[in-house]
Amino acid sequence: MKNRKSNIFRWVVFIIVAFIINFPVISTISASLKSAAEISRSPGLFVSEPTLQNFAVILEVTERLNIFAYLQNSLMASLIGSILPIMLCFPLSYAVARRGYGTNVIFPTVVNLRAMPLIIFAIPLYMMYQTLGLLDTPLGLGLVLAVVNLPLALLLLVNAINDVPYELDEAARMDGARIFTILIKIVFPICLPALATVFIFSFITAWNEFLFGLMLTTTKAVPMTVGASFFFSSGGGGVQWGVAAAVIVVASLPPVVLGILMYKHISRSMTAGAVKG
Amino acid sequence: MGTIELKNVKKSFGTTDVIKDVSLIAEEGEFVVFVGPSGCGKSTLLRLISGLEETDDGTIHIDGEDVTKLDPYDRNLSMVFQSYALYPHMSVYENIAFALRTARVPKPEIDRKVREAAETLKLTSYLDRKPKDLSGGQRQRVAIGRAIVREPKGFLFDEPLSNLDAALRTQTRIEIAKLHKQLGSTMIYVTHDQIEAMTLADKIVVLKDGQVMQIGSPKELYARPNSTFVAQFIGSPKMNLLPNGSYDGQAMQFNKNVKITVGSVQGKPTVLGVRPEDITLCDPEASELRAKVAIYEFHGADNNVFVDVPGLGNLNIRADGKLDLKDGQSVGLKVDTSQIHYFDDSGARV
Repeated sequence: MKNRKSNIFRWVVFIIVAFIINFPVISTISASLKSAAEISRSPGLFVSEPTLQNFAVILEVTERLNIFAYLQNSLMASLIGSILPIMLCFPLSYAVARRGYGTNVIFPTVVNLRAMPLIIFAIPLYMMYQTLGLLDTPLGLGLVLAVVNLPLALLLLVNAINDVPYELDEAARMDGARIFTILIKIVFPICLPALATVFIFSFITAWNEFLFGLMLTTTKAVPMTVGASFFFSSGGGGVQWGVAAAVIVVASLPPVVLGILMYKHISRSMTAGAVKG
Repeated sequence: MGTIELKNVKKSFGTTDVIKDVSLIAEEGEFVVFVGPSGCGKSTLLRLISGLEETDDGTIHIDGEDVTKLDPYDRNLSMVFQSYALYPHMSVYENIAFALRTARVPKPEIDRKVREAAETLKLTSYLDRKPKDLSGGQRQRVAIGRAIVREPKGFLFDEPLSNLDAALRTQTRIEIAKLHKQLGSTMIYVTHDQIEAMTLADKIVVLKDGQVMQIGSPKELYARPNSTFVAQFIGSPKMNLLPNGSYDGQAMQFNKNVKITVGSVQGKPTVLGVRPEDITLCDPEASELRAKVAIYEFHGADNNVFVDVPGLGNLNIRADGKLDLKDGQSVGLKVDTSQIHYFDDSGARV
C-alpha cells in the first residue's frame, strides 16, 4: 500500500517537473496550432479551434521568404560543420592519444577555443570571407561552424581512442596492418559510438547557430535560424505569434529527429570482448 | 625454418635499463619459455623479438636474416597477447582472416585457411560470433587461431593463460603443447608461472632484472641451478636455502647446534640448498637435525610440511600424505646428501 502511494507520488512529481521543463516547447506547439484571433483572445495552452493555417503560411514560397531554401542551407552548412570536424579530428585524435603529439600545446589550445566568445572571430572572419568569396555561401557558413565544433570533437575523440586498448593496434601491426589500415579498419569501427555522439552534438550546435548565420549570409545562404526570424513580422503590423511558433516548430524538427534516430548509438560500448574476460 | 637468435640485445626506457645485453637462441621447432618475476623484462624481450619495440643495441636474427630494423609483420612471427586483443567489431571468422586479408591472399584461400584453423582449434561452430559472445577459453583459442592462420616462422606467446581460471589454464596449456607438437614451429612463450614453464618448455630462459640468469632444459635447471635465484625460482614448493654456513671438509656447520654432514665437496660453499622432496622425516633420536612441525598443509597425495629447526629457521618438506602429523610435534630430518646444491656467498653454484 505504502509502495503504491509513493509510486503515485513519484509520478506526480515527475509529471510536474516534465511539464515545467517542457513548458516552452508545449506553449510553442500550442501557439503554432492557433489562429491569430485565438492567440489574442486566449493566450493559454489550450487550443479550442486547432488550425494548420500558420504552417500553410510558412510553407508557401514567396519572393522574399522560402523556408525550403533555409532548411536546405542549414542542412548543408550543418553537415559540413559536423562531418568536417570528424574528418579532421579523427586522425588528429589518434596522433594525440597514441603518439602523444600536441598533448602539451595543440590539444589544450584547441579545446580552450571552446571557451572563447565566438564574436571575437566575427570581424576578421567577415573580412577574410569577403576576400575569399565565401560570404553568403553554405560552404562558408559550414566552415566556420566546423571551427566551432572542432574542440568538442577533438576532446571526445581523444578520449574515445584512449579507451581503445592499445593491444588492438599492436595485434593489427602483427597482422600486417599499416597505420592507415589500423585507423580505418580497427579504431574507426570501435569508435563509432563516439563518432555518432560527435556528429549529433556538432550537427545540433551547427543547426542552432545564429550569430554567424546572421553575419555571414544575406540572401542565398540564409540558414533556418536566421530565416525563421524573417517570418516573425512578415505580415507587417507587429509579431505574428502563430506564424513565428510554426516556423520554430519546423526549424526544430530536423535536429530532434536526428537525436531520436541516433540516440541509441551514443552510449553503446563497442569494446566488449576485445580484451580479457 | 624458424631459428630465432638474439645477439647482445639491449633496451632501456628512459634511464631504466630493462634488457641488459641478452643473447640467446631458439632453435627451429623449439619451445622456449622466458620465465622470471614481475619486472624482469621477459615481456619486453618478447616485444623486442616481435618488433613492437625497437632494440637500442644488438641484433635479432630469424633464420640467419637480420630483422632488427624490420616491421613486426615483415618478421613473419605471430603473437598471442595476454589480453587476447581480439577485434571486437569483427566476427571470429573475420578476426582469424584479418592478417590474410591485409596480405591480400585470394578469398578462396583465406576461406580454406580460416576453416582449417577453426577446425584445429574446435572453433568451427563459433565462426559467426563476435568476441563478446565467447567465453574466456574460446577467446584465447581465437587469438591462437589468428596466430596460426598465417603459418609464421615462429609464435610468440605473452602470458596467454594468465586471464583464464585454474581448470581452463591446465586444459589450454595441454592444448598449446599439442599444438606445438602438431605444427612443429618455433615458439617463444612468456610466463611468470614456473609450472607452465616446466611443463611446456624444451628450453627455459630464466630472467632477472633484464639479464639471463640461466638457460637450459627444465630438467637441467631443476637438477643443476647455477644460482640461488634459479634454484628458488624453479621448482614448487621452492628449494630450501640454508645460508651462513661454513664447510669444514666433512660437514656444513650453521651454528653451534646445527651441523649437516655432507662428505667431500669441491670449493668453499656457504649456502646449502635442498629441495623439499630431498628431506625425509624420521625419528628425532636417529637424526643429527631435529625440528618441530610448525605448519603442515594436506595436499592429498602428499603433505607440505613447514618445520622449525632451532637456530636455522623454517624448512619446507614434502612428506607422504598418509603421514599423520601434529603441530608442534618433534621430528628428525634426514637430508639426501647426494641431492644437495652448494652455493657461495654471491649466490653462484659451487
